[in-house]
Amino acid sequence: MASAYYEFYRGSSIGMALTDSLDELITSGAITPQLAMKVLQQFDKSLADTMVKQVKTKTNLKGHLHTYRLCDDVWTFIVKNPSFKMESSDLVTSSRVKIIACKNGDAIESGGKKQ
Amino acid sequence: MSFALPARQVTFGRSNTQQSQPYQPPQIQHQVSQHGLALPANNGPYLSTTSTNGNAAAGPSNPTSTSTSTSTPTSAPAPAPAPSPSAPLTLEQQHITAVEGIVPTLQNIVATVNLDCRLDLKTIALHARNAEYNPKRFAAVIMRIRDPKTTALIFASGKMVVTGAKSEDDSRLASRKYARIVQKLGFDAKFSEFKIQNIVGSCDVKFPIRLEGLAYSHGQFSSYEPELFPGLIYRMIKPKVVLLIFVSGKIVLTGAKVREEIYTAFNTIYTVLCEFRKP
Repeated sequence: MASAYYEFYRGSSIGMALTDSLDELITSGAITPQLAMKVLQQFDKSLADTMVKQVKTKTNLKGHLHTYRLCDDVWTFIVKNPSFKMESSDLVTSSRVKIIACKNGDAIESGGKKQ
Repeated sequence: MSFALPARQVTFGRSNTQQSQPYQPPQIQHQVSQHGLALPANNGPYLSTTSTNGNAAAGPSNPTSTSTSTSTPTSAPAPAPAPSPSAPLTLEQQHITAVEGIVPTLQNIVATVNLDCRLDLKTIALHARNAEYNPKRFAAVIMRIRDPKTTALIFASGKMVVTGAKSEDDSRLASRKYARIVQKLGFDAKFSEFKIQNIVGSCDVKFPIRLEGLAYSHGQFSSYEPELFPGLIYRMIKPKVVLLIFVSGKIVLTGAKVREEIYTAFNTIYTVLCEFRKP
């Protein structure tokens, strides 16, 4: 079932750190690559679930929607001149942000990636 | 009523000209419209012609009153058969559109195009901008462009539906742009069989209307079920246009293939609406 989860969280800093550690453990012979794969799959699942169930932080995004795309249940948005208003009333701006939003089984989650 | 009467006669005269002359060559008419009517600046001339007509000076604008067709009651004033039986009518003469200065505004144009080439919709959805493809819900790519602001439905068969344009020229331009986008993605798309399928217009006669009275006396064209829909649905036969008429005096006209049908339908209905003006 783990294959039903997206793997994009592996690219986040926490995912990279986990991958590095697993690499080290494989090289030192502490674990098998198969076990490392299992760990990564569990990571995909856990992070997806956690993002849905436990992360309650919100932000307001304003900007000009330059491009959108829906294909294979994945929305892609490119927003120009976005301004994020955080809950702590911080304002973060940028010239361009790409948002990738995915759906996953019964748990609908969104993953954001800034470029 | 004394006010309504002259306007009514004037428009009868108009509908005659419409029916007698321009209906044989709708294509030519369409072309003409592209030259003259697409320009919003042309509102001026219309208004001026109206005002002259409003003064019941309908003579010059009525070149052929030869066929006082059956649909118009005999009460039509039948101004003396004017000359110019063959001379092409100017736009203003053909449909002196502005009854009381009201010209229906085109709100939407739906056109179809055949790109004449099988399309892989997933490729299009992945590579084109502003595209949606959700085959579970709808078997076409939904694509939008900003100028002219339109939406296209692109099917795997290569057929395409373009909606949202406000003029014939915009509709054609937008369709070409979509065809170009598909071409750029590597398909051998052509631009063929462009056809406008529907034109929607709307306007406001600026007086309230007794819909019950209208529904009663035009029973064979009207359907008025206020419990289902607040407007009266008027299915005009000639031109074949459906009108939604609201108490407020706002009118929606739809089902036309060329813009002249919208104008003719409005001119025809306007005379009727004047009869059922709320006191």
